[in-house]
Amino acid sequence: MGELRGDWISQIGMALEVSPFAVELSALSEPELPSLDAFLGSGRSLPFRYISIHGPSKALEGDEEKLVDELIRLSRHANAVVMHPDTIKNPALFRPLGHKLLLENMDARKKTGRNRDELESMFAELPQAGFCFDVPHAWSIDPDMAVASELLDGFGSRLRHVHLSSLSEDLHHVPLTVADEGLFRPILERCLDVPWIFEAPPRGLT
Amino acid sequence: MGSSGASPLEVLAQEAGRDFPNLFEARKRTAAGLADRSQRLKILSHSSDVSVVLMGSWGRAEVTAGSDDDFMLLVHGVERDEVEPSVAAVGDVLDSSPGIQGIFGVPVFSDRLVHDIGLDQDDNSNLTRRMLFLLESAPVTGTSPYRAVREEVLDRYLDESVKAYRPPRFLLNDVVRYWRTICVDFAGKEHEGPKKWGLRNAKLRTSRKILFAGGLLPVLECFRFDLNEIRDYLEGQLDLVPTDRIAQCFLVHNAVEPGARTFGAYDEFIGRMNDEEFRDDLGNVVRDNCGDSTAFADIQRLGHELQGGLLALLYETRALPQVVRDYAIF
Repeated sequence: MGELRGDWISQIGMALEVSPFAVELSALSEPELPSLDAFLGSGRSLPFRYISIHGPSKALEGDEEKLVDELIRLSRHANAVVMHPDTIKNPALFRPLGHKLLLENMDARKKTGRNRDELESMFAELPQAGFCFDVPHAWSIDPDMAVASELLDGFGSRLRHVHLSSLSEDLHHVPLTVADEGLFRPILERCLDVPWIFEAPPRGLT
Repeated sequence: MGSSGASPLEVLAQEAGRDFPNLFEARKRTAAGLADRSQRLKILSHSSDVSVVLMGSWGRAEVTAGSDDDFMLLVHGVERDEVEPSVAAVGDVLDSSPGIQGIFGVPVFSDRLVHDIGLDQDDNSNLTRRMLFLLESAPVTGTSPYRAVREEVLDRYLDESVKAYRPPRFLLNDVVRYWRTICVDFAGKEHEGPKKWGLRNAKLRTSRKILFAGGLLPVLECFRFDLNEIRDYLEGQLDLVPTDRIAQCFLVHNAVEPGARTFGAYDEFIGRMNDEEFRDDLGNVVRDNCGDSTAFADIQRLGHELQGGLLALLYETRALPQVVRDYAIF
């Protein structure tokens, strides 16, 4: 879905094809934030009952105070703001986001934020933060899904939404396969009460 | 209670590895308060058919520092002039006068609760009294008349229309009617003026929803029982407080973690409502300023999480969704 970056109308249109329930608008690089702010601040109503904003993990400009200010402004329009823990240098700066801040578990390519131990210290710094559970990220670390289970054991009380897809060999999000759907099922059955965000178009929409 | 003596909410907490400290503390506070009030009411002479019944948070075992002593003077029988004790005498002994639109400002005679179900005579007050009595009440005195009236109300609902392995529609429809009445009355009160909008909205998102779910779920769950089991099942459920009825349903349908998040949110709500400053903040919230209130933002978040868990139980578990589909709408 990389071709839709910055095209908020198209992102919304694609999400609506799946469900009017939840959407995640991804501003994956920091320069995309102003246009998302302008889009959400224009006063238009969106059809979704749960709106998440994926904060930037790329092209970070280095000024975390400015980034947090932008995220706080955006959070007025959303239920959640997802951040990758490995991109956060000074967690204390992110505390004003309160319960709206969600930390996402990372995939095997990253150096931290991948498992329960690595996330524990970040949640200790951000006690109000929720948990965005990326199921394929956990799979990339442990295909037997024990890490996924440990993450839910540790942070289930903070769980706010799920990221769902399969991963390509180079760990990019691709449509959820039938095999992964079966593999992930026991984990997903523990997450019935929170929104599931597809990070690649589900089968049938590809 | 489970076989170990633990309540369903305690079992859920154990299975999920969670604690609900505010809910468990509120249960202790409620039990101590009921014992205290029972002792105090002993100075009043009681007719043998009269029960003093505490309502609302007392019936949910969720008493907080801001809870009032909303009570019903219940009489097992037909209307009469003299009732001992009087409403005024009970009000003098308890910590506050009857509230909620004055619907408990007069004795409540079981004859009306039991026989005036539906049609014109079943007005808003009678429906409210019957549903609160059935779903969230606790007898402080006169346990025998209290239980006798409850049995008669249940008998009235569980008439010849009840079928095996199906939710009893008469009771289901009245429980749903009461929830929708609460919601419509919320809008009606707002039309009269903005006072207490924030507090009423907060309760609608949380404790009122627990009240409704605590009635709806046991009725839907009757799909698991044969005709001769339904009554005992419902009586057993009504002996539990609403949070235990709901917790048991999460356990039965293997939804422990969604259940734990549901009660985690509700536990936080109960904790907040025990904080005078938080209650004051909510008390100042009206529709026009709700976007500026951090207290109201917390309530929105907690209400969203609570509802998400209840909806997952109703729509995402294995057996219940089919029952909901067949019975909850039409």
